Amino acid sequence: MRVLIVEDDRDLNRQLVSALTDAGYAVDAAFDGEEGWHLGDTEPYDVVILDTGLPKMDGIRVLEQWRRSERKMPVIILTARDRWSDKVAGMDAGADDYVAKPFHMQELLARVRAQVRRASGHAKSDIECGPLRLDTKTARVTLNGQPIKLTSHEYRLLAYLLHHNERVVSRTELVEHLYEQDFDRDSNTIEVFIGRLRKKIPPDMIKTIRGLGYRLSQAGDEG
Amino acid sequence: MKANSLALRLFVTAAAWVLVVLPIAGWIILAGVRHGVLTALDKEISQTLRFVIDDAEEESEAGPVAPNWGDARFADTHSGWYWQIKPLDGKPTLDGKPAGPLRSRSLAGDNLPLPSEQGVEPDEKEIRWANLTGPAQQVVRVAEIIHQFGAGNSAQRYSVAVAGVLSEAEDDLTRYRDQLIKALALAGVGLLAATLFQVRFGLFPLSKMEQGLAAIRSGAAAKLDGELPSEIKPLQQELNALLKSNQEIVERARTHVGNLAHALKTPLAVLLNEARQDSSPLARKVIEQADTMTAQVNLYLDRARMAARIGVIGRVTEVGSVAESLIRTLDRIYRDKELAYSLDCPADVRFQGERQDLEEMLGNLLDNASKWARSRVSVVVAAMPVALGNVAAGGWFEIRVEDDGPGLTAEQLSEPIKRGRRLDETKPGSGLGHSIVADLAYCYNGRFEFSRAEAGGLCARLTLPLAT
Repeated sequence: MRVLIVEDDRDLNRQLVSALTDAGYAVDAAFDGEEGWHLGDTEPYDVVILDTGLPKMDGIRVLEQWRRSERKMPVIILTARDRWSDKVAGMDAGADDYVAKPFHMQELLARVRAQVRRASGHAKSDIECGPLRLDTKTARVTLNGQPIKLTSHEYRLLAYLLHHNERVVSRTELVEHLYEQDFDRDSNTIEVFIGRLRKKIPPDMIKTIRGLGYRLSQAGDEG
Repeated sequence: MKANSLALRLFVTAAAWVLVVLPIAGWIILAGVRHGVLTALDKEISQTLRFVIDDAEEESEAGPVAPNWGDARFADTHSGWYWQIKPLDGKPTLDGKPAGPLRSRSLAGDNLPLPSEQGVEPDEKEIRWANLTGPAQQVVRVAEIIHQFGAGNSAQRYSVAVAGVLSEAEDDLTRYRDQLIKALALAGVGLLAATLFQVRFGLFPLSKMEQGLAAIRSGAAAKLDGELPSEIKPLQQELNALLKSNQEIVERARTHVGNLAHALKTPLAVLLNEARQDSSPLARKVIEQADTMTAQVNLYLDRARMAARIGVIGRVTEVGSVAESLIRTLDRIYRDKELAYSLDCPADVRFQGERQDLEEMLGNLLDNASKWARSRVSVVVAAMPVALGNVAAGGWFEIRVEDDGPGLTAEQLSEPIKRGRRLDETKPGSGLGHSIVADLAYCYNGRFEFSRAEAGGLCARLTLPLAT
């Protein structure tokens, strides 16, 4: 899952990047409104955390421009302006959630998870696919109730496939959603990680759809 | 006319002036007229005295003769007009007869009392003047002069006196005084009526201004409009400038408060996040102190916002549109709970106050209801038939926010709302929401209380001033 953080305070930005990376997200950071708007307009993010008081371009304007150009990713506004008039203005501009500063990082992470889940059409915090189960709260994957040991990159890939299970996901989409902007994107890397995952879960759960991508589905389902 | 009003002051001043000046003017006029009448009487008497002497001297050698110039006043008995020539030395006349007094027929043989007999001293023309009681108890003005008639041995001094009736002049003066009093009283009443009209007409623009200010207070107008007289036009301009500057100050204060919030809360967020990753005593102390600072920042930001609000007048807010936009926002924030929101608000209910304040109060109530509700949240707005102790110009309206959550116990319901007191610790929140609602409601002289909702959850009731 790929997250964009647009926050001009360098310390807070660093803390957010660190907390979200630790939680298994691929994180890009922007420090002003123009940079944030450009990234959000050109890269496919799963969630954006957007400060409102930004240099160069106000956060609300950034959000309005994204929505005008049909960018539909979930946006969580993170701001010190906690009056209801600010919240209403933010939500009316197209935000999906609102977090007031100072905030608990765990609460923000929960809101990010909720937005990711909601965007992929899941109502509950546990996402299941056959014997596989992802607890989005703890970022743990279990197979038949037993925890699977995954590296950070394996987790990101499996979590994305679980969020979009039963759907064909292209290699390009995976690359775009699993790696930060600066990452050296080599689609062969995806194949390497798919191969590793197949060794940790029932191998026929991840199917390669030739020319299209991959699909995670319940074991034995030929779909 | 109200007590302690400009109109009353102007009227009382004018009335006092009329009541003091008119009697004084009457007294001065009356004194002038009296002086004129008495001077004319004296002139007539002294002229008559001269005529009497001239006529009596026709045969000067033989002594005075009775003058006769056919004036009926001196012929009619006790007419009030008399003359008398009375010898003083007791010499006989030329023909040897003793010189007796000569009198006008009007005296009918009575003796005319003389000023010299009263010891009155003569004036520079040698005439003695006195007001004396004459025949038939008439008060008469008597002029007396000592004149010598006859020649040679018969020459002797005579007291020549002429009297004119004074009571007639006094009667005339009394009649004149009565008429003057009536005329002045009529003038006084007329002046008071004119003053009353003048005060009403003159002060009419002020009452127009009062209506204009009431319209601003109720939100019907943004500034003092209308053509006003040149004397109060500067006041109108100053008031409009004051209103504008007041609004600008409030807006500026709000911006500063917002900027301050941003400037303080971001570093606090950084400090707290950093410290929460550590479990050392220093980190715990930082968390504790940063939490205290956050609470203090929130408390003083709220106070600053409320202080910026004091004196703001003339704002009116549609309750329905605020409730709709808040419900829309909360529906998105709590979309996972799939709550059913309902709103029942008559279109004509308007809050007499700031939109931001209504949003803050209703937003906090709806947020709390959404947090606890199982499946539905309802908002009912209604104009209140019963007035509160403090009378708002347009009355009051009530907002009821109900949820179907667990609600509060009877004990919790009866506790007063305190800043930072959280009624339930199991859901996130600072506990400031309800105290902000209570503080804001208090700012508007309104009321905020909890009760049990029909659906079993919490019912928060907010009473606020209704705009006309």
